[in-house]
Amino acid sequence: MSPVILSLLLHGAIVVITLVSWHWITPMEEPPEPSISARLVSPETVQPPETTSPPPQPEPEPEPEPEQPDPVEEAQQREAEQQRIQQEREREEARQREQERQEQKRLEQEAAAAREREQKAREAEEAAREKARAEAEEQARQKAEEERKAREEAERKAEQERRAQEEAERRAEEERKRQEQQRREEEERKRQEAERQRQEQARREREQQLEQLAQEAEAARLAEERRREAAAAARARENQMRNEKSRYESLIRDALHRAWYPPSSAREGMSVILRLTLLPSGELQSVEVVEGSGNRAFDNSAISAARGINRYPLPDSRDTFDRYFRQFTIRFEPEV
Amino acid sequence: MRQTRQAPVLWRKLIAIPAVLAMLVAVATSAQAELMIRVTKGAGEAVPVAVVPFGQSGDLPAGDNVSTIIRNNLEMTGEFNPLAADRMLSLPTSVDDVFFRDWRMLGQRYLLVGDVSREGDRVRARYELFDVNGERRLLGESSSTTVSNIRSLAHHISDKVYEALTGEPGVFSTRLAYVTRDEQGGKPRYRLQVSDVDGRRASVRLESREPILSPAWSPDGRKLAYVSFESGKPQIFVHELAAGKRTAVASFPGLNSAPDWSPDGRSLLVTLSRSGNAEVYKLDVESRSLTRLTDHWGIDTEGAWHPDGEGFAFTSDRSGGPQIYIKDSENASPRRVTFGGRYNAGARFSPDGDYIYYVHQREGAFHIARMELETGNEQILTRTGMDESPSIAPNGRMLIYATRQGSDSVLTVISAGGGAAYTLPAARGDVREPAWSPILR
Repeated sequence: MSPVILSLLLHGAIVVITLVSWHWITPMEEPPEPSISARLVSPETVQPPETTSPPPQPEPEPEPEPEQPDPVEEAQQREAEQQRIQQEREREEARQREQERQEQKRLEQEAAAAREREQKAREAEEAAREKARAEAEEQARQKAEEERKAREEAERKAEQERRAQEEAERRAEEERKRQEQQRREEEERKRQEAERQRQEQARREREQQLEQLAQEAEAARLAEERRREAAAAARARENQMRNEKSRYESLIRDALHRAWYPPSSAREGMSVILRLTLLPSGELQSVEVVEGSGNRAFDNSAISAARGINRYPLPDSRDTFDRYFRQFTIRFEPEV
Repeated sequence: MRQTRQAPVLWRKLIAIPAVLAMLVAVATSAQAELMIRVTKGAGEAVPVAVVPFGQSGDLPAGDNVSTIIRNNLEMTGEFNPLAADRMLSLPTSVDDVFFRDWRMLGQRYLLVGDVSREGDRVRARYELFDVNGERRLLGESSSTTVSNIRSLAHHISDKVYEALTGEPGVFSTRLAYVTRDEQGGKPRYRLQVSDVDGRRASVRLESREPILSPAWSPDGRKLAYVSFESGKPQIFVHELAAGKRTAVASFPGLNSAPDWSPDGRSLLVTLSRSGNAEVYKLDVESRSLTRLTDHWGIDTEGAWHPDGEGFAFTSDRSGGPQIYIKDSENASPRRVTFGGRYNAGARFSPDGDYIYYVHQREGAFHIARMELETGNEQILTRTGMDESPSIAPNGRMLIYATRQGSDSVLTVISAGGGAAYTLPAARGDVREPAWSPILR
């Protein structure tokens, strides 16, 4: 144990002893008796003033104590004081006894008369005292019992409080743990919820992405399908246009073949290129010499041939006409 | 310094290359994008042309209708198919009266309209040639001549029209020389005659009881060289047509035959046998000097000048039968050019020198054949059986030759490619040895 605690315990014991001694040595303010009586008062019988012991207070917080006198010296002083008091008392008692002797006689008579009453009274008092003692004992016992009970109660209460506190602490701990757990669970739940929501969101996003991808893929597929269909249609159209082109190119060539009268000056290697512009009706809108042969009669024969066709054979398709036959060139080059 | 100058040039080249490529691609693309139709053959028919009877005013010689002469001339070539007058919907004489649609409906490609008027002792012809499809005038002219020369005016117009339509000069104003043979009192009579190409206006330039052979025109068209037996032996004469002056330029012993004028008109290729064997010589007309051009034990004859005046063709039997040889120059070695058949003779060059025309025997018949010298391709041009003496028109588009028609010899004109034939109006007796004059300037 630390010196501070030892010091506290020691001071406590001194205070208790002092208090006990105080009660023991402090003359009781007896109410004036109607009669003078003496009785032996033992320290054991001296009852401290009835006080109710305060409920055990919690240990006061240690405070710095003022410089204390030496306990031994104090005890000696107290002893001296007690001796002085004892002497005072003794003197008082001697004086009293003198008075008592003087009056003894008077009193003895009265005493004798009174003795009986006193006896009775003593007896009554004894009885009363006994009763009181018994009561006191009972009270003391009860008090002790109460104190014990109180102590026990206090202890019980303390225990209960401790337990309650512990319980409270436990509960608080449990609560804390529970709350912690709850918090963790909540957090976990929230986390899980967040995770779930995140996963859900991710799932939704993934689904949306997949959906979007699927839509895009579908759109791409449809676009590709449309493109293929368009390409197939374009190819078919292209083939048709080419077929029409070949057919009508051949028809126009035949017509030009019938319409062309190459002059006698035409020689192999001669060539004249004409550009023709036709109307959709097949009529010749214009003809121009793109590249002459140098032989005017030869060029004229080609121009005359081009102009000699009243109505050029043309496909019904306007697209084919626009693409191939609205404007085209003819090369006249005799193969002798 | 040199590098700094070269760098920009290099950069410019590097920049220019893609630009040029892009241009080439663009040109190629655009060229590819536009349809081009190639026409390599014509109708193969004579060109339909309408020669509308010319309007006439004044007193004109009967029988010499200008438009008729023109129509016949064009038809004779085999290249044109004139529309008969009775099929015409109208007879315009000037552009104001022409409805091109009508002529298009009739399928005519060209239209000739005009009129002839008498102006004192002259006649004037005004004519216009139109492209019917193009509705544009190709030719227009007004010409005049003496009344007696109205056929010449018609031939002149024919030449102009022909040249406008074919790009080749017309030959209707040229002349023909030929020899006729008939009998008088049981004796043969030979006449050297000169006529228009249609056989009209024939005039006798020489008459003889002895054969006259191988007339040949000088390049200026003023002289004829020919072989005459009038002295009892063959002699070569040069006959100045305008003056009627005749000069014997070759009277060597033996054979004197087959004269042919050099392109410059200064010499003649002749066949002489003065050395004992028939050889081809060059005879200087002025100096009469001779240059022997062939030297072979076989018979070499019928020399014909190439148009360039350097080489010549001749007929030789040095390979066993008559075949045609060519010497590319006077000193070159002769090369045989005909191998088809056993008889190929009497070669004449086309004016451009690309072809030779000659008599070719096949299955016992004699035809006129043509060979393209570059390829050696041979083409038989005639279907008659006794064809001889081909003579080429100076534009190379027609040739005239002698053939048999029944018991008589006649002259026939065909196109150089072997097209339509036109037989000249019959003269008295046999007609043979035709010679087509050059274009007379």
